[in-house]
Amino acid sequence: MKGRFKRTEVWFKLVLLILFSLLYLLAIPYPEKSKQFPQLIAVFSIVMIVISLIIDLTRKGTGLGEIADVGDTELKILDETTKKARRKRFYKAWGIILVSTAIGFLGGFLFSTFSLFVGFALFFGKRTRKYLFKNIFIAVVMTILIYVAFQWIMGVPLLTGILW
Amino acid sequence: MDVVTQAVTFVFQWQNLAALIAGTIYGIIIGVLPGLGPSAGMALALPLVLKWHPATALIFMGSLYKCSNYGGSITAILVNTPGDASNAATILDGYPMCEKGKGGVALAISATGAMVGGTIGMICLIFSAPFLAEFALRFGPAEYFLTALLALSIIAAVVQGATIKGLISAGLGLMLSTVGFDVVTGHLRYTFGWSPIEDGIPLIQALVGLFAVTQSLVLAESAESISRIGKLAGGFWEGVMTYFKYPYAIIRAATIGLFIGILPAVGQSSAGLLAWAEAKRESKHPETFGNGEPEGVISSETSTNACMPGDLVCTIALGIPGSVGAAIFLGVMIIFGVIPGPLVFKEKADVIYSLFVALVLTSFILFLVGITVARHFALVTLLPNEIIVPVILVVSLLGSFAIRNLMADVFISLVFGILGYIMLKGGFTPVPLLLGMVLGEMVEINYHRALMISGGSYSIFYSSIISKILIFLTFLSLAGPYWGPIWKKLTQGGK
Repeated sequence: MKGRFKRTEVWFKLVLLILFSLLYLLAIPYPEKSKQFPQLIAVFSIVMIVISLIIDLTRKGTGLGEIADVGDTELKILDETTKKARRKRFYKAWGIILVSTAIGFLGGFLFSTFSLFVGFALFFGKRTRKYLFKNIFIAVVMTILIYVAFQWIMGVPLLTGILW
Repeated sequence: MDVVTQAVTFVFQWQNLAALIAGTIYGIIIGVLPGLGPSAGMALALPLVLKWHPATALIFMGSLYKCSNYGGSITAILVNTPGDASNAATILDGYPMCEKGKGGVALAISATGAMVGGTIGMICLIFSAPFLAEFALRFGPAEYFLTALLALSIIAAVVQGATIKGLISAGLGLMLSTVGFDVVTGHLRYTFGWSPIEDGIPLIQALVGLFAVTQSLVLAESAESISRIGKLAGGFWEGVMTYFKYPYAIIRAATIGLFIGILPAVGQSSAGLLAWAEAKRESKHPETFGNGEPEGVISSETSTNACMPGDLVCTIALGIPGSVGAAIFLGVMIIFGVIPGPLVFKEKADVIYSLFVALVLTSFILFLVGITVARHFALVTLLPNEIIVPVILVVSLLGSFAIRNLMADVFISLVFGILGYIMLKGGFTPVPLLLGMVLGEMVEINYHRALMISGGSYSIFYSSIISKILIFLTFLSLAGPYWGPIWKKLTQGGK
């Protein structure tokens, strides 16, 4: 059964099935013209998902054409150790992004950008003293470069934290 | 002909040439930054050009608009993040080329495509603009509705090689486009009281999430540089030579681009994707598409650049923009007293034809910039993972934030980043979703308009010849992927 369909794909389709059903129901109280289009799309998508799930449950293997154009799917990484290592890096990356966004929310663009660069340097770069200093230097330079390019040259508004 | 000669003389005056070069460079820079597309670029540059001569200002804005599209293709190729929705098709083969170390070749194809596609488009339009605008007027709401459906069905069927999954992805995009104020009744839909999405889910922020954030996560996960072979293979001139090896693909893509361009509100994103899909469908080796096939980049870039002039003609002749960038350009024209409409080709012929000539010239300057400066951008693909990932994240999220100065937009991008990542892991491609979001409003408006015209009768969707052709093509695009294997089985007796 495991070989027949892929867990992430089936879960994603089930979530979409619930989502489209909910969106269909939520549209019921809307005026006639407002609900017509979303409900039409919802019904169409639900039908497509059900057909797709039936195909997943009944077929013997994965169609090659189906994954040919989509890189980095779980289907292409068969080795369990690689999968685990990739997942660990993924969680680390998300952690850094969320912490940097929170720092940006509080302290603004400069702190957020610096923490993002330092975070990736610490968790994804080599951890020797030489590389650490090099990466921190790159973090400072990149932060300043982006600040100058956006704020001074292009006049793009930058994130200001709520603390000042 | 006289007016064209006058326009050439005008464009070659030093101040207009300077405006043209400045617009080209500024446009490329704006385009390279994901999130800051042509619309943001023109908005930022508007205060600068307000006191200029109208024709000079429009030359600057036109060059900026055209070149930001080329700039967007640079990031689409190098970091799998289109600068604008119109570059979405370029990532399909451009980025895999980078992974093979052929970033320079892909950039050269893109620069040559911008020059050739743009020049073909502009020359055709200089002489045929008024007639094309007249043809576009034959399209009513039902035809627009069906054109958008055709675009979605072709993309859903061809981009991924799994029609149903493509249609689900497109359905999700269409559904997301209904969030916010209903364009017909003004009723709020699916906002759950959250004001940042009352005007709809912002497209650029969604695009940044779907491509830039997702790509950063994929790169962080892989712990590799973008070029998986760790070096650059193939030079810029190899890309230029490769481009001209596909004359049939160039002509086909330019024709598709021109046709899509003259249809109001369909836009460059559809043109690039349709040309890519058509090239894949016609190819003897379709399995190479999506895996770094140069013909894919040639088709998408030529079509997108040939579409842009057509898009401008619609904007100028009918006042109906084909994209957000064209809408801003429309606003800029009005600010400078060039009121769009069929009469503009007679009343403001000097300004309009100067703009057209300047855009032809821009195509060549853009190519020169491409071979001298942009090719060095390919080195980005060799940067280590711990540097390139935060660079992509900072620049793209900053672009997302800068559009409305809202922290909520950063969250929207992050949420779309998660969605894009899950889709990728589940074997879905986000491209049909993006196109669904781009075309959603147009589909819904024209659906209601058509029914209003027909008094509620659905016969309006199949009564005209154009509608019938569009329905037939939609059916063909959806059935095509299934028809091939069935035909093979029938002819080979199920072997």
